[in-house]
Amino acid sequence: MEQILLLKENRWVRLGLWVAVLVILAVMPLQLPIIANQTIARIGVFAVAVLGLNIIMGYSGQVMLGQIFFLGLGAYVTANGVTGEWSIALTFLAAAVIPGIVGLVVAMAAARLGGLAIAMVTIALPIIGVPLAKRLEDLTGGSQGMSARFSSAPEWSGLDNDQWQYYVIIGIAVVVYALTRNFVRGKYGRAMAIVRTNEAVAVSMGVSPYRYKVMAFTIASILGGISGFLYMFAVQFISPESMNFVHSINLLAAMIVGGAASIAGSLIGGAYYVMVPQLTNAIDPTLTAISQGIILVAVLFILPGGLVSLPRVISNAIRKRRGAAPSQPMEETTSPPVTTHTE
Amino acid sequence: MATFIQLVIDGLSLGSIYAALALAIVMVNQATGMINFAQGAMAVVSAYVAYAVLARGIPVILAIVAAVIISFLLGAVIERTLIRRFEQGDPDTAVVVTIGLLTLFTGVAGWIWGYNNRQFPSLFPLSTVDIMGAVVSIRAIGTTLVIVAIMVALQLLFRMTKLGLALRAVSVNPTSAALSGLPVGRLLMVGWGLAASLGAVAGSLIAPQLTLTPGMMDTALVYALAAVIIGGAKSPIGAVTAAWVIGVLENLAAVYVPVIGYDLKVIVPFILLFVLLLIRPQGLFGRRVVVRV
Repeated sequence: MEQILLLKENRWVRLGLWVAVLVILAVMPLQLPIIANQTIARIGVFAVAVLGLNIIMGYSGQVMLGQIFFLGLGAYVTANGVTGEWSIALTFLAAAVIPGIVGLVVAMAAARLGGLAIAMVTIALPIIGVPLAKRLEDLTGGSQGMSARFSSAPEWSGLDNDQWQYYVIIGIAVVVYALTRNFVRGKYGRAMAIVRTNEAVAVSMGVSPYRYKVMAFTIASILGGISGFLYMFAVQFISPESMNFVHSINLLAAMIVGGAASIAGSLIGGAYYVMVPQLTNAIDPTLTAISQGIILVAVLFILPGGLVSLPRVISNAIRKRRGAAPSQPMEETTSPPVTTHTE
Repeated sequence: MATFIQLVIDGLSLGSIYAALALAIVMVNQATGMINFAQGAMAVVSAYVAYAVLARGIPVILAIVAAVIISFLLGAVIERTLIRRFEQGDPDTAVVVTIGLLTLFTGVAGWIWGYNNRQFPSLFPLSTVDIMGAVVSIRAIGTTLVIVAIMVALQLLFRMTKLGLALRAVSVNPTSAALSGLPVGRLLMVGWGLAASLGAVAGSLIAPQLTLTPGMMDTALVYALAAVIIGGAKSPIGAVTAAWVIGVLENLAAVYVPVIGYDLKVIVPFILLFVLLLIRPQGLFGRRVVVRV
């Protein structure tokens, strides 16, 4: 067991694992049925939204309840770009930048108040977003919503639509994940961590909590906007109800269940967000909300680190039973010991 | 003029309901330093409890009283079983727990009573009275008066009774309160119970207007939170004043500002909030907090 754990930290093994994952991701859609490809593509969409939420909540410690609003905004911008026949690159850029600007403005006001003000202000975003989308009919199609067909597979690719959507969405999601991973491990990530742990210490080290909160929030809203673009690419339809408050709460729940302040946790969160309601709806739709609540509260009680911390918790439990001292929790940021263990 | 008076009184009655919820949030915040995002969902469950009691042929007023009592117990039990272990820890985790409870209670209401709108009878007659030419519903006046009476009663409780003194002591300094022999845990349960009872009143009074659904209080929660921020999170008077201002202004804006209208009036408290944050970031009645390392 210990050797396997150490093996995980070997650089070449890690690289090999990543290559294997990428190859599997690339080959899979050619084999799977349509419904599976669509589900995986949706997981990619919401994994990006959850990742954004994780930047502001998990890494910076500011509770944010409005992520679905930025997803909706990104999707509406995308729909407008498609109907306005902008180039796809411009549409993507606008879908990322416009939510980013809105996020920046909201954060600049909300972050002025300490404590839970960001949570209390952002809870209003979806509540305002739904009637606003219904009102701005010219831009949103009102209550009817908007559809935009722009994700059919091009002829040269020889792919089916679902495969094409899968590749584009997973491709963008992988890039976003790689960039975010580097971001949170670098200088900015460390600054956000100190803002989360102790604002007074952050100030004394020359790190402005206000600026970093605003920055984290803006990045979260940009990722929300990108996930909105991906949402449009996968679903091709957006209506005001897609921005419902309940979805925002569920995104937050997904992030916590997956694992706060964890890249892999965000991915698990995306999968949770897509899969669990599908499962509970299949059993009994009235059980969906209650089961989401029970799962979230149960995770907070039993597994505060989310599902991503499960392997560590289990391996610690095993070591404890063997009588050895439990290992230190392995922070992602600590440099792994340079070892060349083999089996 | 007639329309104006009517709008102001209607606004006050809606504002009173936001005020009750805001007061519940402030009460929990004072006692435990957390913001209970589940306060609205708890109020919905309370309103459903009143609805269930009503269905047994009991008059409205008694049903609401029963719901208030049951909610008090429910609030106390929630504090003891679910919230207690997160009180000393990371405040963000505690907030997420209350968000979990929000989903949970909405889910419980939906699971037991379904998602269809249900009619809830009004405590007050549906007739209207004439005040200076304005047609004002008795319900609006009655709702406002009930909430004002409750606030006076709470003020008396906190200022004039030993229980109130103890509750205030716990909110100011739990450690010292415990050292002077106060049962801190039990007092926190009382605080949560009182907050849940207030929510029960708010839920039962707003239910006739909105009709009973599991998501009934989502919007009211947003108004109440806005009132709490505008009023300063630790100030009951501030929160209540802010809630009334919000209720009146949003009603006036809905009619006199065509761009806003009834569908977008939820935006009003947030315009207020943005303006306020630029001028007085600590809230109307709040005090600047100095943080030390």
